[in-house]
Amino acid sequence: MSSTPRKRPAPDALVAGIVVVILIALVAAVFLSGAGSTLYPPDAVTSEAREIRGLYDIVFAFAVAIFLVVEALIVWSVLRYRRRPTDVELPVQTHGNNLVEVIWTVVPTAIVLFLFVISWNTLNNVDAVSNEPDVRVHAIAGQFAWQFEYLDESGNKVATQLAPAYDAETGVGGMAVPVGRSIQVTLDSPDVIHAFYVPRFLFKRDVVPGQTNRFEFTVDEDEAGQVFRGQCAELCGTGHRQMLFNVIALSPADYETWLAALVERSNATPAPLPSGPVLNVTAKNIAFDTTAVEVPADAPFGIAFSNDDPPGILHDVDIRDAGGTVVANQDTIDGGTSANYSYGPLAAAQYTFFCSIHANMTGTLTAK
Amino acid sequence: MATHALSPAAQAYSRGTLYDWLTTTDHKKIGIMYVINSFIFFLVGGVLALVVRTELAQPGLQYLTNEHVYNEMFTMHATLMIFVFVIPMLAGLGNYAVPLMIGAPDMAFPRINALSLWMLPLGGLLLISSFFTGGSAAAGWTSYPPLSAEGPLNSPGAGQDLWIVALVLIGTSSILGGINFLVTIFKMRAPGMTLFRMPIMVWTILVTSVLVVMATPVITSALVMLFIDRNYGGHFFDPFQGGSAVLYQNIFWFYSHPAVYVMVLPAMGVVSEVLPVFSRKPLFGYKAFIFATAGIGALGFSVWAHHMFTTGAVFLPFFSLLTFLIAVPTGVKMFNWVFTLFRGQLTFSTPLVFALGFLTMFLIGGINGAFSASVPVDFALHDTYWVVAHLHYVLFGGSVFGIFAGIYYWFPKWTGRMLNEGLGHLQFWLMFIGFNLTFFPMHMLGIQGMPRRIADYASDAGWNDWNLAATIGGFLIASSMLPFIWNVFISLRNGKVAGDDPWEGNTLEWATTSPPPPYNFDHLPEIRSERPLFDARHGHAGHAGH
Repeated sequence: MSSTPRKRPAPDALVAGIVVVILIALVAAVFLSGAGSTLYPPDAVTSEAREIRGLYDIVFAFAVAIFLVVEALIVWSVLRYRRRPTDVELPVQTHGNNLVEVIWTVVPTAIVLFLFVISWNTLNNVDAVSNEPDVRVHAIAGQFAWQFEYLDESGNKVATQLAPAYDAETGVGGMAVPVGRSIQVTLDSPDVIHAFYVPRFLFKRDVVPGQTNRFEFTVDEDEAGQVFRGQCAELCGTGHRQMLFNVIALSPADYETWLAALVERSNATPAPLPSGPVLNVTAKNIAFDTTAVEVPADAPFGIAFSNDDPPGILHDVDIRDAGGTVVANQDTIDGGTSANYSYGPLAAAQYTFFCSIHANMTGTLTAK
Repeated sequence: MATHALSPAAQAYSRGTLYDWLTTTDHKKIGIMYVINSFIFFLVGGVLALVVRTELAQPGLQYLTNEHVYNEMFTMHATLMIFVFVIPMLAGLGNYAVPLMIGAPDMAFPRINALSLWMLPLGGLLLISSFFTGGSAAAGWTSYPPLSAEGPLNSPGAGQDLWIVALVLIGTSSILGGINFLVTIFKMRAPGMTLFRMPIMVWTILVTSVLVVMATPVITSALVMLFIDRNYGGHFFDPFQGGSAVLYQNIFWFYSHPAVYVMVLPAMGVVSEVLPVFSRKPLFGYKAFIFATAGIGALGFSVWAHHMFTTGAVFLPFFSLLTFLIAVPTGVKMFNWVFTLFRGQLTFSTPLVFALGFLTMFLIGGINGAFSASVPVDFALHDTYWVVAHLHYVLFGGSVFGIFAGIYYWFPKWTGRMLNEGLGHLQFWLMFIGFNLTFFPMHMLGIQGMPRRIADYASDAGWNDWNLAATIGGFLIASSMLPFIWNVFISLRNGKVAGDDPWEGNTLEWATTSPPPPYNFDHLPEIRSERPLFDARHGHAGHAGH
């Protein structure tokens, strides 16, 4: 230890410097080893997402640089300037320095102005919407399900996808889009605020009731055949996390086939009422009009189901047994429409009928 | 004692200790009660956070099979932490410190001060009581309509109304407290205590009070409109009857963004007191720091819509630019703090250790906030766990570490006893490691696409490990409270006697006894700079290096 209190021993600075270098090396190693990649967004799949990713990389580089500089200064000061028993006299009482204050005002201002300008540039690209997109989809988010209406050039509905999630087994469901084509999505909500969020698009947009939001994207050509996860990102109630959907990227030819099939299904004549007993069930104000129904055991039956809630609110009537196993799974229908559901024979027992979208909508179904 | 028995007349005026505390108008007792009340709600809010983290530890719904209860948990966690912990805790630290620091005998309006205090436990209990009246608010602490409106899937029941009433009450307490601070600071400074000799803590409370007085009435208006919508058939925020859902967000964030600075500026004030004392140097750039504080306060009113970048209803470039710019005064402060340490003589007492925790963690909270200032990047990050990481690096890494720095710093003044250093360091390391283990992984979760406010997630989404890590970290944070509570308990009984000025402080509170007498000072030292006690100790020698 040095005998002069005001002058610090050189080893202090050396140790502090070595520790700082080691810390910087550690951070660098984390990034070079790939572990740091978890701090980067998932691979972008749209041209807009690639722009956002490029912007993210620049912001991230500045962030890491600033983080390292300031944390290194702190760590170095902490290690270098700890008080020693020989420190009796006061250190030099520096009250400030106008030059450095100006420097650390001007330099950060320049940095944030630069980041602002490149952000604004990117924003103008990713936020642009055209008058003549290749495909128009009207996404409706109601509590707690999405539906996707496919529109023609003049905005008329040609088909509706009521199954928002892709089922890998049946190949049904999801919002299909052609790769390499501009897709314009308009967003509407019949109830509360939701948000359309696809992580691999690096993008989300709120679905605000009373306000039609609009955005556009183009999926990269080489993503054909991929299925992307999407999810509501704005708290919308008890079923918020169930508002899942998928975006399916198809080659333009496959997309045409897919859309034709959807149009055919949308235009198909509704199923006739099944033979056998038919019950009438109505859903309104997020509730069934009955909480207990009876059907004959071991015989097929039907339910003439009417969804009297506003358009955008989906319901169905599914059945599960006492153990919780779903024994009948019907397609959801939109508010303001009705459907004839056919059910297979049920063994005599107590069941629960329920709406697959709204956990509060249940009743007992007795087969006897 | 003999005198006691011989003067029965005096007996009539002598009340019990409890009565004394419940009826006191002494800013010091009120300040301590602010701190205790806030700390209790901190524990309650922490338990709610643990419930949330426990549910999220693994995919699948394990405990909260009714997801409505999950929504209640995170809604009440945030509400309690923001409105009944961080804001009043800092107001409490200020309540104790400000009159002492400016050489005043008390706050300007001692009775209003007591009123501000007693509204807080009432508001907190109203919030808690909603659990026993059919369920608490569950629409998030932001309570955006239409979700917070009436309706079977929205917010039926009294919980949301109790939430509104409690927040109006707590807001009124804030406004009264803010006015009280402003009048105290402007009218009751001791002779010689000019504005530019005030401690930074007082400056941050001053700017905070301006924010509170200007912004809190605005959120009160939003709450009242929401209450009318819910109970009296109003349609302010009902888009289906000519109202606007986004209107609420504008009004709400016009308060709630400045509220972030209400929750951070006084913690910055604490750190700006602690760093100079424990590095034996003046704060680097005292005036620059004050201008930066005022700059943050002013800019704080023009960035509210950066919470609304994805609504499609705000002018994005304006709010992006202003949000970026707010990084500049914040950066000035950061460099001033670091250069205060530079060439100092650091003593690693617990207050300094927590202040360094503030510096290193708040830095991350500032940097990861800049990502959201970049609108396109915010399109990816908004409403994901990234935002949860960001806000906790600001409000926990910043405010909470600052709060504990303040508690360890002033505890000797409050009680006359020192807190135990070993337990203090143990608490710090548990909290520091637990904090980073909890909140750093949330960056990864957010950027990989995990939205906030979901009770469950797919097991194949790749989020399992980070969620488990965050949950373990959460319990580590909780465990850090045990050494703290034990520390307070044993230190009050057997702690080292502090004396007037255990830290060689700079500011006037160290010029009186610990704890100070009623009305604080018998006499004041001469005030010639922002460090009157330093001047008294060292004379003009301290200014040699000016």
